[in-house]
Amino acid sequence: MKRVFPICAVLLVLAAPRPAWAHRLKLFLTVEDGALGGYAFFVGSGRPEGSAVIVKDGGGHELYRGKTDDHGAFRWKPPVAADYAVTVDAGDGHWVEGFLAADRFGAPAAAPTPATPLPPSSASAPKPETSACAQPDSAALARLVEAQVDKAVARQLRPLIESYDLAEGRVRLNDVMGGIGMIVGLAGMGLWGLARRRKASDRD
Amino acid sequence: MAHIPDGVLSAPVLIGGAVLAVGGLTLGLRRLDESEIPKTAILASTFFVASLVAVPVGPSSVHLLLSGLMGLVLGLRAIPAVFVGLLLQAVLFGFGGLTSLGVDLVNIAFPGVAAALLARPLLARAQGFGAAAIGAGVAAFSVLGTTACVSAALALSSADYLPSLRVIALTYIPLALVEAVITGFVIAYLKRVKPESLGLTAQPEGAA
Repeated sequence: MKRVFPICAVLLVLAAPRPAWAHRLKLFLTVEDGALGGYAFFVGSGRPEGSAVIVKDGGGHELYRGKTDDHGAFRWKPPVAADYAVTVDAGDGHWVEGFLAADRFGAPAAAPTPATPLPPSSASAPKPETSACAQPDSAALARLVEAQVDKAVARQLRPLIESYDLAEGRVRLNDVMGGIGMIVGLAGMGLWGLARRRKASDRD
Repeated sequence: MAHIPDGVLSAPVLIGGAVLAVGGLTLGLRRLDESEIPKTAILASTFFVASLVAVPVGPSSVHLLLSGLMGLVLGLRAIPAVFVGLLLQAVLFGFGGLTSLGVDLVNIAFPGVAAALLARPLLARAQGFGAAAIGAGVAAFSVLGTTACVSAALALSSADYLPSLRVIALTYIPLALVEAVITGFVIAYLKRVKPESLGLTAQPEGAA
């Protein structure tokens, strides 16, 4: 029994210096240019390659089925902005699901629209040049600006969300030590209970 | 693999796993006496820590289970030890769901315990290399048994989660080999230095 202690100690020491070691599949989801994308990763290390990616709509209907690339990443452009559930199945019981709400797709879905209404508005309204033309233009401009701002914000936020997702699943030394402490406490409680029971039976 | 999250398995599989797990826990806890509690707690801690260290292998990621070693050292007491480890992993780190705890316990602990109980009479007679070979065999069988149980639990729940044989071959066969080497060394060492830790000298078979 005493020899199991060194094994425990070695395992702890091996594990301790690394920032994260764990074993859970997690999903990082993002929307860029109206496309749904991201990657799956194992907390600690590794990305699932060639794993099934399944996108379902709010009603649970399968819309898309693909595979992750060498870096566990995937990308799919949905036809309309809606609520989507994304599942990555690594094929051996590792399985993760993530959700994207429809409003995340808001601006990119509107982005292509300025291109279409713009020509008819300028072609059909040649007479009232200044006042009538200014209205659709400013609306289109607003959409364009919104799309660009969304894109820029998404680009800036991406590393932040990524690192948050990574940090959230990280196994911390404190938690590991706490878990070991709980096991020791449980063993102590068991011993205490057995000792009390024996004392009681000795008295009888 | 062995830590199946919530929401994947179907209700009959979850209930079946829970019933088996409670049965196993009852059997294991009955065998826990004062002298065995510290050993069980140490191996529970070892399992808790060892199965947190994940190594990326091919398309997936694996971690040690050590269920063969636990089965050989603890016998049926390995079931409560694994249970405590799994419960803490689920609560502290979200590895594996709480509803699937029973199924996970059956998947991880039962193959190791079964293999160890079968191999123990052989181990009592084996020496040196023979003991190492038995330890290695038990460990490899446990990992493959766990793989089979996980696959069965997933396949019974839904055809969507049918595990791919390619991934299993790429990840669990290396894991079985690594566990075989580790368990072989540890068992040969314990058998030589401290055979009573394997429950062998005082009560040769199925020591309780």
